[in-house]
Amino acid sequence: MKILVAVKQTAALEEDFEIRDDGLDVDEDFMMYDLNEWDDFSLEEAMKIKESSDTDVEVVVVSVGPDRVDESLRKCLAKGADRAIRVWDDAAEGSDAIVIGRILTEVIKKEAPDMVFAGVQSSDQAYASTGISVASYLNWPHAAVVADLQYKPGDNKAVIRRELEGGMLQEVEINCPAVLTIQLGINKPRYASLRGIKQAATKPIEEVSLAEIGLSANDVGVGKSMSRVRRMYIPEKGRATMIEGTISEQAAKIIQIINEFKGA
Amino acid sequence: MTDPTQITRILFQDFDPKAIYLFYAFGYLAIAIFIHGCYVQVRKYRRGKPDESWNQIFKRFWDMVKTMASHRTLVRRDKKAGRAHGLIFFGFVLLFIGTATITLEYDILEPLFGVRFWYGNFYLLFSLVLDVAGFGVIAGLLYMMYRRKWMNLPKLDYKRVDRQVGDPDYDRSQYRREDWAFLWSFILIGITGFILEATRLVWLSETPSVWDHRFWSPVGALLAHMMEALGMTAEIAGAFRPYLWWFHGLLSLTFIACIPYTKIKHIFTAAASLMFKSPLVGRRLPIIPVEQANAGYKTITDLTWKNLLHLDACTKCGRCQEACPANAVGAPLSPRDVILSLREFANKTLNAKELPAEAELDIHGKSPGQVMQETLWSCRTCLACVEICPVAVEHVPIIVQMRRNLVEAGEMEPILEKTLQTIHKTGNSFGESKRKRAAWAKGLPFEIKDARTEPVDILWFVGDYASFDPRNQKVTRSFAKLLNKAGVNFGLLFEAEMNAGNDIRRVGEEGLYEHLATSNIGTLQSCDFKSIVTTDPHSFNTIRNEYPDFGGAFEINHYTTLVKQLIESGQIKLKKKLDYRVTFHDPCHLGRYNKGYDAPRDVIKLLGCELVEMGRNRDNSFCCGAGGGRIWIPDPVGIEKPSANRMREAGQIEGLDVFIVSCPKDLTMFEDALKTSGFEGQFVVRELIELIDECIEYDVVDITNEAEVITTSD
Repeated sequence: MKILVAVKQTAALEEDFEIRDDGLDVDEDFMMYDLNEWDDFSLEEAMKIKESSDTDVEVVVVSVGPDRVDESLRKCLAKGADRAIRVWDDAAEGSDAIVIGRILTEVIKKEAPDMVFAGVQSSDQAYASTGISVASYLNWPHAAVVADLQYKPGDNKAVIRRELEGGMLQEVEINCPAVLTIQLGINKPRYASLRGIKQAATKPIEEVSLAEIGLSANDVGVGKSMSRVRRMYIPEKGRATMIEGTISEQAAKIIQIINEFKGA
Repeated sequence: MTDPTQITRILFQDFDPKAIYLFYAFGYLAIAIFIHGCYVQVRKYRRGKPDESWNQIFKRFWDMVKTMASHRTLVRRDKKAGRAHGLIFFGFVLLFIGTATITLEYDILEPLFGVRFWYGNFYLLFSLVLDVAGFGVIAGLLYMMYRRKWMNLPKLDYKRVDRQVGDPDYDRSQYRREDWAFLWSFILIGITGFILEATRLVWLSETPSVWDHRFWSPVGALLAHMMEALGMTAEIAGAFRPYLWWFHGLLSLTFIACIPYTKIKHIFTAAASLMFKSPLVGRRLPIIPVEQANAGYKTITDLTWKNLLHLDACTKCGRCQEACPANAVGAPLSPRDVILSLREFANKTLNAKELPAEAELDIHGKSPGQVMQETLWSCRTCLACVEICPVAVEHVPIIVQMRRNLVEAGEMEPILEKTLQTIHKTGNSFGESKRKRAAWAKGLPFEIKDARTEPVDILWFVGDYASFDPRNQKVTRSFAKLLNKAGVNFGLLFEAEMNAGNDIRRVGEEGLYEHLATSNIGTLQSCDFKSIVTTDPHSFNTIRNEYPDFGGAFEINHYTTLVKQLIESGQIKLKKKLDYRVTFHDPCHLGRYNKGYDAPRDVIKLLGCELVEMGRNRDNSFCCGAGGGRIWIPDPVGIEKPSANRMREAGQIEGLDVFIVSCPKDLTMFEDALKTSGFEGQFVVRELIELIDECIEYDVVDITNEAEVITTSD
């Protein structure tokens, strides 16, 4: 039994940041990298299945990204994942979520897992489409925004609850193998202690090239993406202002603003 | 004149030889039971992990003798009990030496070599000394009985804060029974000893070599006269004596046999505990050996033999509980109960011939003998318990070791988990960008050197709170101005400075601590400086005491030491005196941890302030509640915060103007606590630096602190 968890290292911005000269992204100097928040939950869900199962369950984490991603993969290994795979080629820079999904699909075909988990979305790009594109490429059943999962290794069906708008839950029975995108709050992710992370340094991270999964530089990157970033920018501030001062000062200011608005 | 060799006590006088054999049989039996008990205890300690406290054994032994002879640790904060214990202790030691002396002559020297010395003047002096000793023991025990029965001391009621009524190990009445059995058996041995002595005198009142010298055993003589006055004759005494003799003798032998099985064992365990105490206990936490797979203590056999010995040394005196800030505000922690629980657990599991299965050795939980998570997380690692323990029990390292295990298992408050992750990611607990580490320096009218790129005399390790907390940044700027004004050649590490790790280590996140410490040590080693200064006692402690374990030996001073030097050498000129009535709060990590009690007080006096001490000061200072990572965990609502408790104490000082602190975390904690204390407006909380700042006249008026400069240059 094998569960494959697709993870991503996401970037958080520092308080003050600058846009890169080409205007397509934030300058990397101002980014702090960490494992995508959703992926903590999807990995935990896999670990829960592994730990409560009588049979052997292998949890494999896979990510597409450069060297720095190893740090996040090590965190996954520290939390108990058995193996980690990282796919990269400089040509993959600028790939959109669908291309990343394609790359992941080739790894999944090689690994032949019984279940694939991914986060609902990434905290930096928020396309929420990588996991789903994988399901599409694999032609596997899929469910998005999973908030509860009942599944035991060997089951040919899983019962899931999906989170809908307005506080609704939808209970779905899904054929396995399946691709599930996991929502925040489905479980309580464990803490990866620094000692654990250090000890995980001895577990190997398998580096996989595009060729090894039957792809080439022509299959990935900006050129192969169906969407391209044109520019990234900070929108001009709106007209909201904080009114400060004593209550009467604030009231006076509001009256003044209303009068200005009315053109008085 | 009587032949001096006649002036003695004839042992077993008029006893049937069979009775003597019987007594020896009992004696050997008692010794056998005693030795077996000792064996079981030693076997228990040997089931613990190794510890390197065997070094400098003679120095340790000598220190222990000094501590015991002076009773220094026992008279602290409880003079009467300490002195009463002194009477019992020294009385017991003399009585033991006395008995051993008799054994030496009667059982060894006389039968083997025909040598006798226990007669004549030596015998008489011996009688006098032992009478006084016996009297002291009884007097001491009487006080202890009075104290236990009528003084109603909360520390002696064994009420548990970490268990609910009805829990299997809530009831501690067994301890009370043991206490009283100990007191009664001991005092009965003393009393029957004196009555026996008096009975012998009455019995032998016709024998001049005995009766004429009776006042060399004054207590016995006095009793003998009273007995005679009550009509006791020599015959009655002679008939009564064997019963009394056997009662006294068997009670004493039972007492000896019981030593290793009861609280009486503290005679040995407390002494050994004192001998093996760590000089840097709590100040330098144990590193995790490289070969050890899991961090911290999960099972009872993870404890070292020394820990197990400390557990047995505890005499339940409750001084730790009395000093504990968590306990004072009603948190489910009593350092004593942690020790007693683990001791009960160790006795249950490790006294057995075969070690139980691993699963039965887990010390975490709510079953009898286990320690709850809530208890462990209540600790603020302020070292108050360790400081006051008369027998050198080391509570805090055990608590931290147990927390290490909880951290590794992820058993902690989610908010603490978040903070640890933040510190890992950003190197500081505020989650600020590294780049903003020295943002507080913006607007200063001078440039601060970058110690990474040019040599400095003093490297200033700023610390998280002083760097990022807006209120503390004001203090930090003042200190920078002070150093600049004094012409000190100083610099910072800027974005290379990381959280020093003191509190992370005390939380129990040892891996993160190692990461921070080694990173800081690497940075510091690449810089050229003479010594380090910091305004943060937490950073001060770990850099001073713990970095050496990771290869970083640096000279570091808390700012109070440096400022005192600067004022005394005239590098800082105080332009005015302050006439405030102030009190000073000793930060745990400066005071108790590092004995920095005097420098801040000296500076306060140099400023001209009138210093009024709070009841709990210096080594008994009361933690603000922020230690051990608790600053990152909100205190539970509904119970008083330690900082609020401290404000109440300060509020009792009449006419108090300023509550002085010398620690960034203290400033945060106490300014917060003051707001809800009801004393807001009566006194203020200030960093000592701020008071010094008031006394310094700065030539350059800078923009950021214009208002302050105007008021101080009046």
